[in-house]
Amino acid sequence: METPPLLKPGLYRAEGSAARPGQPALLGGVCACGHVFFPLQAYGCERCGGVDLQPRVLSGAGRLLASARVHLHPGKGREAPFTVGSIRLDDGPIVRTLIEGDLGALHPGLAMVTTLVPVADAEGAPRLDLRFAPEGV
Amino acid sequence: MAAVLRNLRPVYVAGIGFHRYQFASATTYVDLGLTAVRAALADAGLAWPAIESAYFAKALLPMAPGRAMLRHLGATGLPIVHVENASASGSAAFRHACMEVAAGLADLSLVVGVDKPMPLAPAERLAGIGGLADDAFAPFTHFALLADAYAARTGASVEDIALVAVKNHRNGARNPFAQHQKERSLEEILGGRKIAGGFTSLQCTPVGEGAAAVIVASEEGLRRQGIDLSRAVRVLSSAGRSQRLYEDATRYDAMLTQETTRIALAEAGVSAADLDVVELHDAFTVEEVEYVEAMGLCPDGQAVPRLKAGEFDIGGRCAVSPSGGLIAMGHPIGPTGVGQIGEITRQLRGEAGDRQQPDARLGLAHMVGIGAVCYVHVLGAV
Repeated sequence: METPPLLKPGLYRAEGSAARPGQPALLGGVCACGHVFFPLQAYGCERCGGVDLQPRVLSGAGRLLASARVHLHPGKGREAPFTVGSIRLDDGPIVRTLIEGDLGALHPGLAMVTTLVPVADAEGAPRLDLRFAPEGV
Repeated sequence: MAAVLRNLRPVYVAGIGFHRYQFASATTYVDLGLTAVRAALADAGLAWPAIESAYFAKALLPMAPGRAMLRHLGATGLPIVHVENASASGSAAFRHACMEVAAGLADLSLVVGVDKPMPLAPAERLAGIGGLADDAFAPFTHFALLADAYAARTGASVEDIALVAVKNHRNGARNPFAQHQKERSLEEILGGRKIAGGFTSLQCTPVGEGAAAVIVASEEGLRRQGIDLSRAVRVLSSAGRSQRLYEDATRYDAMLTQETTRIALAEAGVSAADLDVVELHDAFTVEEVEYVEAMGLCPDGQAVPRLKAGEFDIGGRCAVSPSGGLIAMGHPIGPTGVGQIGEITRQLRGEAGDRQQPDARLGLAHMVGIGAVCYVHVLGAV
């Protein structure tokens, strides 16, 4: 069976980074000042205002800062309950996203890695979207 | 070096007025706003033609609602400006009215906040920089994550954090302008509809409508109208900041609150320990415990024990959100920051009835808004 395309190919890729080849990588950026950020943008650096911004592949690994089970969600296209978390990537930036895997084990400090899960896009076509899950589960 | 408010001409709050915060109704925004403005004028003892400028705070109403409302007081031709700064719209409008009066460009200025629930679309989404799952994050989701981190950092339980709602619903029950006016037990609060993380519905600010108005005045302007300063409250400082990069980026609300409060207290020449009454942005329970620590009302990690000891109750060391706060009084957005100034003024006048903080002399109002932006004002009894 053919692998579905990524839902948000501007934000991540299926291939890993040099440091974490097994985990889908995030597509961030780095400024000439050294500030590493996610996602990639070309408007200007939030730390120094510089515009010398280059793409930087970020490893799909980090530590859980916080998580919450969402029981009620006002938006369309996503049914509660689901679990969200904030993760500090090993490469620095903090991301907030959906959490997959063993939700009972979640606690701040837990090692988390990226994973691609099958979803449908707005038209119902199959896609793969990035999530974080506890490492080794 | 740029001037600070306190070094300019003294600025006072001379009148306050409200339309009760309530669930969405058929009442027009014009009705809501006029009720608050007429009440503020009556409270100050001023007639509308004496007002020289108007600041109209709103975040949800469409473009230019100001004159369409204010014309019903008599179209005097005064300048009207609309201020939108998310949840801090009312606070920002108040700051700019204070600056105008302090600078001597006007003697009597109106600040009014009015809003009705409308579909919301933060402009940040238009920047074209999408996150991994932006659609999964409502404001309460953001704060549920903060509550989880606060609990892990301090050892506080879900029940501990929910005690903020017990206090604020108790205060709101004594406020005739509050959206929720019912005391709630901890069991009732914890047993409510589950929202996210440990939050239940009564730990989250209700969405609603309403209006609040204050009159900002110079002494000269009041005297010209035959009014003395006996019921006036002085605005001692005004600070506004926006989010920077912080080491713990998830706690930007608290970090921003800390730096803005520090500026406002320093400009007023007072310390957090001097405060008798504080109105803060408690849209969700965890915010109050985070912010009382960030403001310096208690040491880091001590908010829950201090809350349990009654320090933030009316009658405690410093009454926090005696109005009921955003949790019980409500958060109609545009009016909220203006309403905080109204509550602090009422407290410092000693006119807050059965929710009066005894001997209140010094008060602080604090709002954060999506973006994030933050405003802190310090007010003192005359």
